[in-house]
Amino acid sequence: MQNSKSSSAIPLGPIALLAASALLLSGCGKQPDPEIRFMDYAGDYGSKPFFARVEHNLPLTAGVEERRQLALVTPKYLAGLDQEKVDQIYARLTAGPIPDGPFDGDLFFPEGSSGKLRAAEIVSGLKSLAIRFKAKKLEIIGSVLWKGKVFYRDEMLLRNRIEDLALLAPLIDDMLSVPKIEVNGRDSWLLFPARLYCGQSLLDGRRESVIIDYAFTDELPGYREKPDFLAGRRGFQVRDEIRMIRPGFYLGRAYLGHTFVLNFTLYNDAIASKELDRWIETGRTSEDCWVGSQRLASTAVD
Amino acid sequence: MECRFLSGWGRFFAGSLLLAAGSVYAAASDSVTAFGASGYYSLDAGLNASQRAGQEIWYKATAGNDRFHTYVFQQRIGVLIDWYRILNGRERDDRFAAWGLINDPDCCQPGSAGCPAQSYDETYGFDWCPGDDALLRSVGKSDYRDPACDFTEGPTAPGDPHGGSDQRQSACDLKFGTSSGVLGLRKFPNPRFDAARWREVNGGRVDTWAGYNRPLSSNPENSDSRVSHLRDGSIEPPFRFGMACGACHIAFDPLNPPEDPAHPQWENIKGVIGNQYARLSEVMASGMPASSLEWQVFAHARPGSTDTSAVPTDQINNPGTQNTLINIGRRPLFENEKVDRWRKVSACPEAADTGACWCEPGRASKCWEKSEQLDTVHHILKGGGDSVGVDLAVQRVYINIGSCSEACWVNHLTDLRQLDPQQRNFGQTPMDIGQCRRDCPNFRAIEDRVNNIVDFLLSPRLYATDLRAARELEVKRSDPAASYTQADFIEDLELEFGQGAVSRGRELFAQNCARCHSSQQGPEETRDFYAESQPGVRADFLSNDVAVPVSEVGTFRCRALHSNHMRGHIWDEFSSTSYKERAPDRNVKEATEGGRGYYRNISLLNVWAQAPFMHNNALGPEICGEPKNRANDFYRATYVDAAGALLTDQPKCWRYDPSVQGRYDLFKASMEQLLNPAERTPKITKVSEDIVIELGPRLWDGEEEKQLLGLKLVVPAGTNAGALGNFQHKEFLVDLILSKVNVKRLRERLKASPNADAAEEVITELQAIADQVIENPAAFLDVVRQRPHLLALYSSCGAVEENRGHDFGGELPQADKRALIAFLATI
Repeated sequence: MQNSKSSSAIPLGPIALLAASALLLSGCGKQPDPEIRFMDYAGDYGSKPFFARVEHNLPLTAGVEERRQLALVTPKYLAGLDQEKVDQIYARLTAGPIPDGPFDGDLFFPEGSSGKLRAAEIVSGLKSLAIRFKAKKLEIIGSVLWKGKVFYRDEMLLRNRIEDLALLAPLIDDMLSVPKIEVNGRDSWLLFPARLYCGQSLLDGRRESVIIDYAFTDELPGYREKPDFLAGRRGFQVRDEIRMIRPGFYLGRAYLGHTFVLNFTLYNDAIASKELDRWIETGRTSEDCWVGSQRLASTAVD
Repeated sequence: MECRFLSGWGRFFAGSLLLAAGSVYAAASDSVTAFGASGYYSLDAGLNASQRAGQEIWYKATAGNDRFHTYVFQQRIGVLIDWYRILNGRERDDRFAAWGLINDPDCCQPGSAGCPAQSYDETYGFDWCPGDDALLRSVGKSDYRDPACDFTEGPTAPGDPHGGSDQRQSACDLKFGTSSGVLGLRKFPNPRFDAARWREVNGGRVDTWAGYNRPLSSNPENSDSRVSHLRDGSIEPPFRFGMACGACHIAFDPLNPPEDPAHPQWENIKGVIGNQYARLSEVMASGMPASSLEWQVFAHARPGSTDTSAVPTDQINNPGTQNTLINIGRRPLFENEKVDRWRKVSACPEAADTGACWCEPGRASKCWEKSEQLDTVHHILKGGGDSVGVDLAVQRVYINIGSCSEACWVNHLTDLRQLDPQQRNFGQTPMDIGQCRRDCPNFRAIEDRVNNIVDFLLSPRLYATDLRAARELEVKRSDPAASYTQADFIEDLELEFGQGAVSRGRELFAQNCARCHSSQQGPEETRDFYAESQPGVRADFLSNDVAVPVSEVGTFRCRALHSNHMRGHIWDEFSSTSYKERAPDRNVKEATEGGRGYYRNISLLNVWAQAPFMHNNALGPEICGEPKNRANDFYRATYVDAAGALLTDQPKCWRYDPSVQGRYDLFKASMEQLLNPAERTPKITKVSEDIVIELGPRLWDGEEEKQLLGLKLVVPAGTNAGALGNFQHKEFLVDLILSKVNVKRLRERLKASPNADAAEEVITELQAIADQVIENPAAFLDVVRQRPHLLALYSSCGAVEENRGHDFGGELPQADKRALIAFLATI
């Protein structure tokens, strides 16, 4: 085990946790990292522990204390983990309810075991390679451009929130007609529509994730070829999947054509404020997707 | 056809009478509905309670793999199945010719005489089958009660440490559903089905998949011509389809074949010998466009064979036949094998690690402990990979057809798109049987009844089907009082093959073949190959079941290189330590460590009914179905010239013919090829259409598609399909990058590989390729193709000709060859 001793963490009241996590998510607070335990691993794929074993040995959402630790998780904390740790967290989550409404987004690229970005580890040294990796730049561009997602649960649709259209201007037809909403007092333009459904995780098959699928984006209301095609089947073939860390806070994985590219988080303060308390105490949340037979088996045993 | 259905319903009434008489007929829910009497239960006659239960599991239990065939395979693996294309009721009569699948005699086409369903709207376009009255009411709902819940249990195994009170997992978890219209394929109501969305997708109709499976564009220049809504995971079809053992193993009875293969009756069905016509590879890729890599690389197995390591891929293109199961009770066992496996116990030591000993919560003394012991086991699969007990061999097959795939399997598989060696699914990891037992109720449901399955496999259903008996049945059809004795049979054979042919053939067999193809001890010359160990059971299994190095047999070796049972690979826990310690075959150039590199000597029981031959059905005439719907004609020309190019004048394929004479003719033609190796025309399966791989975004301006970034790769038709499937693209790409960033590490890797001798040459070539690709990524395929010798080094199997090898007997005089054929027709 690399980390342990969750029992030594000082129990915090749910209200304090809520306040702390809201502050942390807004980037204004300072709080110790959650004490989340991980199983050992090394660099090679074969050294990675089986997710079923990780969950069996180190369940993440089973008890009040574990959920208190999850309540301390922040995007910044996740972005500081290497990818294997992010994966071990993701695999121990369930999909939770299919979200509804606007969510703030953050993204981060996978980090390898050396502490460098994983893609940079792979191609470092290819000095003459035309596509030399610029992940950090992409991360910054992505963060500026993409501010989150708006879920339309009743229609099982989603649109992405863009706050700065200028960067996309050359790719957008008729910018003035791009639909707009206001989130937290700021304008967000809605682009890149996608379908929502419960489906297969490309990382962990043991239970479903909420899938955000752009393959047939051109069939969705409000689709505009430029720039929405970029996410669709003729574009970069984007497919996201998310699982719930705690109510109102989701961890996501973005794929291009089945290839994992980056992690992201989604946060809705209103949902978190309303539901965190009860969730920490009871662990109850609605599950719209199949939770898997391992989860059902452990629930039955409990 | 109408008459046949009427006779089918007629059997219902007979069945009802038997039920009333308190017969052995089981009272499962689909046997007692008004129109839904299942003739299936006529198969129960003569079986004891355990065998009967095992048979029903064999024919119907999917153990929950409907989720695999609806979601996992499509979304996680990325391969689409078009179930409507295979199972739509309107093409029921063409189904056998197209897919080689066997129609369920109990099902009917809506609207046909006597069929309870009047229109395809009622069945969503599929056949109507017994039990569908309840099932159809549950489409789009979560209230379905699976018929398996009413399964009539067989007994537990005598002496079972878990015995005493019945502690079996709920029979509901066997998951039967109802028949899909094809034996072995089962359907389940999809609780997520949304009728309004379905109508929207399919032009307002519910009885078709016309909008779901149709390409989005008819313009071949548009990439949407290779896309359908089968890829759209947000659309939920009305049914989920699952697969039972029977999907591959149920076949036509060689003794009593159907007059019309599209309309068999239950008396024409034999559940275990393997369907020689099934095109399961095509079934599994049926939703993929013909120009896709998946279709061209995987959907080309010969009828009756499939690459069972295509989903749990070992990147070795190796289709193999369904193993013929005859007289399993006489199959040789191997003593003192080192077997590390879970074993039933009644208790675990206190505080035992659950990875070593585990008791099922809520049960009394239902525990398993893992240990290595010396066991007596069968060797199962082509190379004997399944070697830790029949029970786990059965379980492994269930996993391989998708049961518990989410809980236990797919997280361990290789993802061909994962190119980062640090990430999960870059390569395989071993499935964990203990975890699967703990986490997947369907695993336990099968495991707790595997004794019934094994009893079924030892039942009279697996007794031999001799050509003499088949001919006698034919004679009796026209004259019930007639007989066809062994003497009559020998006489006919000798008229055909020459005086004394059978006895001379027996001598030749004893001298040349029995060393491998007999299970008896003692001098071969004195063995009685016809002797019975009990009435109806042949004593000789006609194989010693010993695995021999592939170089000794010389047949197409890719299957022998199958690596999934090696340590650290997906089926690690299903192979014995003794298997893993087998010596490599140093006479082949590929790596053969870890237990691979062998083929078992197969049984020649009823070889007259098993042609074409060899593990890939490649030795003998090619067979084909010639369906009416030409879009479902999957026959690929494979005969090549000395240079490996397809012959312009291909020998005609033989149309599927399961009749006694049809099987016999195919046997003789295949034997001629077997015994005359120099006269065989080589066969190589080719890519039949250009494979198009598009990378990067393309903009559609309403008329034309323009590539903005990336590239389009085209693999031309005529490329060897196997070579493509065997190319180790991950190792190649890893080495390509290392050649530029870390030559030292690359050199170390190569020195430890079978390519050690060529290490420096490989490094130089890879560096040259990397420079060229950096300059012009679109030239990748051309740059690589210019170096066939390098590609060969990155191939998991270099074998090319699929019908070579097993040259034994080739040196015999022609008269002796014919004598041998005559004798083999009798065993």
